[in-house]
Parts: sequence; structure tokens; C-alpha cells
Amino acid sequence: MFAFRAGDAASPRSRELPVGLADRIRPTTPVAGRLLPVPPALAPLFPDGALRRGSTTTVAGLPGHGATTLALALLAAASQTGSWCAAVGLPDPGVVAAAELGIDLRRVVFVPHPGQGWAEVAGDLLPGVDVVLVRPPGRARQTAARHLVARARERQAALVVLVEHVSAWPEGGDLALSVGALAWEGVGRGHGHLQGRRAEVRVSGRRSAGRAVECSLWLPAPSGVVAAAEVEDGPDGAGPDDGPKAA
Amino acid sequence: MELERLVVIWCPGLREEGARGEEARRFVHVVARAGELCPWVHPIRLGVCALPARGPSRFFGGEEMVVSRLVEVVEEEAQVGVADGLFAATLAARSGLIVPAGEAAEFLGPWSVATLARPDLAVTLQRLGVTTLGQFAALPSADVSDRFGADAAACHKVARAESGELAGLRDRSIERRLRVARGEDPDVGSEPPPYQPGFFGGASAADTRAALSFARVQERLGVDAVLVGRVQGGRDPSEQAVLVPWGSPESGAGPGGAPWPGRLPPPAPTDVLRAPRRAEVVDRTGRAVEVTGRGLLTAALDRLSVDGGPWQRVVAWAGPWPVTERWWSVRRRRARLQVVTEDGVARLLCTERAQWWVEALYD
Repeated sequence: MFAFRAGDAASPRSRELPVGLADRIRPTTPVAGRLLPVPPALAPLFPDGALRRGSTTTVAGLPGHGATTLALALLAAASQTGSWCAAVGLPDPGVVAAAELGIDLRRVVFVPHPGQGWAEVAGDLLPGVDVVLVRPPGRARQTAARHLVARARERQAALVVLVEHVSAWPEGGDLALSVGALAWEGVGRGHGHLQGRRAEVRVSGRRSAGRAVECSLWLPAPSGVVAAAEVEDGPDGAGPDDGPKAA
Repeated sequence: MELERLVVIWCPGLREEGARGEEARRFVHVVARAGELCPWVHPIRLGVCALPARGPSRFFGGEEMVVSRLVEVVEEEAQVGVADGLFAATLAARSGLIVPAGEAAEFLGPWSVATLARPDLAVTLQRLGVTTLGQFAALPSADVSDRFGADAAACHKVARAESGELAGLRDRSIERRLRVARGEDPDVGSEPPPYQPGFFGGASAADTRAALSFARVQERLGVDAVLVGRVQGGRDPSEQAVLVPWGSPESGAGPGGAPWPGRLPPPAPTDVLRAPRRAEVVDRTGRAVEVTGRGLLTAALDRLSVDGGPWQRVVAWAGPWPVTERWWSVRRRRARLQVVTEDGVARLLCTERAQWWVEALYD
């Protein structure tokens, strides 16, 4: 049981745990060292309430539907607590938006144009930084994807993969977040200004442990940060209070 | 990406602290006066402060204007220079020069290797017949690094104007000294100390690990491939933020500074296109929509096409916000709109002379 939360993340046992059991067990040793904080509004998306070192999280969404906002927001709390982060392959990063999302710009490097070597660049960064956000230019090669996932696990860094559709990442993810935008608010036909976007984020993936969580979020809220909209329970009743809070 | 253009203010009379400490107080005043004019004024060492040139230069209508305004306001004997990177900008200030962008290496060429403030290296180089920065820069990097070590390699990059930062160029205690001079508690900073990435001390094990991984990426893709973001004043999303190479002098500065008037309210776009994309905007009858001289739309927006792509129905828009350029600039009349299409995608559009552009995307 140790192996699931607190043991070696590379252990294959975590994946073999029965779904029901995986949902019930709780850590018996401190997990704080293995977790990287996320903004409070995003904690309900994660079984541990935080990004887990060594894990791979995919963030999928059509362009313009908020996936970049969500992916960048995953770096915010980690960078604020002193973790180094990197964003690879975001060609035109909105630095102001990143700052508004709470990212400490002193702790984040951008590699906007890694070219064909995006996977190698991400692989170079995984030993040095705690969170690597990578956007492959198209569908990732299976070998490159598998290598990166293994390297993240081995180096105990969190890998966040930004894709248009989850199928563009052949390795799947420990956790898969899909973003669907609902609507922008604050803007009308010729008046107001963009204030916030409501979005639905659905969580799946092998580490979601059978929880089908769906969250309503502001991606972003009018202040530029991510925030919880009213949360709707998933089909199995799993709500935001189901998981432990961010360490 | 090239080195950041910096303005350096050099006050020869304030470079040494006298017995009464008056110089530090006067320098505090210089920094404050300059800071009233331009954002992001950083003390470098006693008598020397620097600020990014780009924003103020646009704001005041050119680097010459910035320099003359600064000389007017600082109320001290001061020389001001502008160049790419801190090292060249400091030398430029000593000569009161504006070195054109991209020409820092040529500018540095005739200066003595002694300007690097590395007496041992200077002596060795002079024995080899290398007396100027230009001659030093011409040596192969690998040889310099092998033979003289990492610090000389850093000096070499400075001589080549590939870097503007050199250990010792900044007085690391200057902020503290100025707090003392202001009569503030020296140990309570109003902001966290600027973090200096790189190999110049003060790095934790994690910082060193991170630095090594960035260096690996730089080896793979070039020094300019690894960037850090910094927020500054400006009206456009692209002006409010700059990406500078990791490890370059200004990369250590944190976010802050007062936003300049006229920026769009948050949230900011997540994708600020370096190369804006052409767009077409039409009304219900299919006629191109324009913004009039009074800043009004000629018709309600109906459809949008980007890069000649399929038409998408516009469901909401905000603006136009005229982009008022100052009198000194080339006469440009632009207007900006936020446009949401039926697929829920929001873009920042800009129009100028009946041509529409997508400037940014809210992803």
C-alpha cells in the first residue's frame, strides 16, 4: 500500500491496485516532499490535491479553449514556492498572462522554439527543474513520449503535456485534464471587455483512480488568476472535498 | 534574441562613498528622480544605475529623448549612455554615447582589456599581445575557456557582446546600502531581493541543477533559446512583457513597476503573436468593417476570417480602443478589439489602415 502514494513512483504496483482500493487508501507517510503545490482552485483536479513528482499530466483542449491557461496555472504555485519550472514549445508565450496567473517569472524559463528537438529539450530540463510544461508540435512520437515519461519518473519531476487532443500524446498520462470552454463573460456586442471564461475541466487517466471529476473553473477569472466556479459533482459523486488538500 | 538595450546613468561624483555618506544619499535621490521618469530603474553600484531602454524610448520618442530627459531630471553631474547589455551600456555612459543596437561588439573593440576589471587576465593577455577587447573577442571561445577558465570565458562573452553581465559589475550590497542611506531598516526589503541566476554566487543546489539544465539546452539550441519573462510598462500585450535570455543582466529582475496608462484590463492574452496574423472582418452584408477616424466601427461585426481561413461568426466583441500614439511617432492610427467567435475563441484584433490583424489569442 505504501507504494501507491509514498513509495517509488516507478513501481508498477500502483497501476495494479484495484480501482476501489486505490480510491480509499490514504498516505501513511508524509507526501509533502513528493508533491508540488497547485493553485487552490486546481487542487480538486488532482487525487493528491497537487502535482505529483514523477507523474505526467496531460492538458488537452482545442486552441482558444483555455488549455494554455490551465497548463500555465499549474506552474503558478510551484514557482511561487521556489520550484524552477520550464515551458517548452509555447511559441508566443503571454508573459503578462503568466504573471497574472500567479507565476513567479523569476523561476520560469521559456524555450519557445525547440524545433524538432522538443523532446530532447524537455529531457534536458527534467533533471534540473521541478515542473516541465511541454507542448509537442503535433502528435508526439511514441518513443519520444515514452522516454519523457520515464525520465520524469526517474528524475522525480512533474511533466505537464499540453496538446490539442489527448490522443496526440500516445503515452496517455497519469492524469488527463480536458478543457472545454463554455463562454467568455464581460463582453457583449460592442461593449464591456473580456473578463473571465468559464470552462469545464474533466479529469481522467490511470491515476484518477476511477474518479471522474468534472470541475467548473474560471480560466481565467477577471483578475487573471484561475478560480473555482460552482463545482458540479461528477457522475460518481466525487466532489472537490474528496481528495486531500494541497500540501 | 539580442541583449537587452539598457540606459545607464553614470554619476562620476558619486562613485566613492565619502566619510559622511552623503554620496549614497545623493545617489538615492538620482535613482528616485530617474524612477519618476521611467519605470525599472535599478541601482547597479554606487553612482551607477540602469534601466531598460525600450519602453521609455517608445514613450518619449527615441533614445535621445530619454537620455536628455534623464540628464535634466537627475540634478547631479551625470553621463548617460545606451547600448546592448549592461557592460557595454556602462562604458557607453562613461563616454556619454548612444551605441546603435547590434553594434555593441564593434563599440567594445577598441577598449582595453583592463575594462574587464580582471588584472591577472589583463596581464596575461597583454603578454600574448592581446590588449583590446576586440582582439580578445577574436580568440576562439573554446581556447579561452580551456586555457583561462570559466570566469575568463564569461569575460570573453562580454567582450564579444554576447553577454552583458560580469561578476563584479554589480555591487550586490547596493540595495542594502541605499536602504541605509534612506534611513530604512537595511534588512527589511520592500521587495524580495532580485534573484540572479547563473554562476555568480548565491545559488542553492536546486538553482545549480536548474542552471546546468538550462546550459544544456543552450548548448543544444543556442544561448538565446532559453528565455525568462519580465513585465514592464507599455500599452500592448507585447510591450508589457519582454523575454530576455536567461542569465542576461536584466533577467534577474522581478515583476513589478507601475503599469503605464492605456493597457487593457486583465486577463491578458496567453499567446502574444510575434508575427501577427492577417484577418478579415465583415458585417452582415459581407462588407469589410473599418474603424473610422473617430474610433467608431462602420458596422457591427458579423464574421471573421484568419489567414484566409473559413469564416466564423462573431458572437461578441469589445472596443474599439484607439491606440493613440504620441505626436512624435510616425502617424499611426490603430484600434484594438477583443473579438469572440462562435467557437468560444477570443482574440485580440488590431486594425490599421483598413487591414485587420490577430495580435493575440486568449487560450
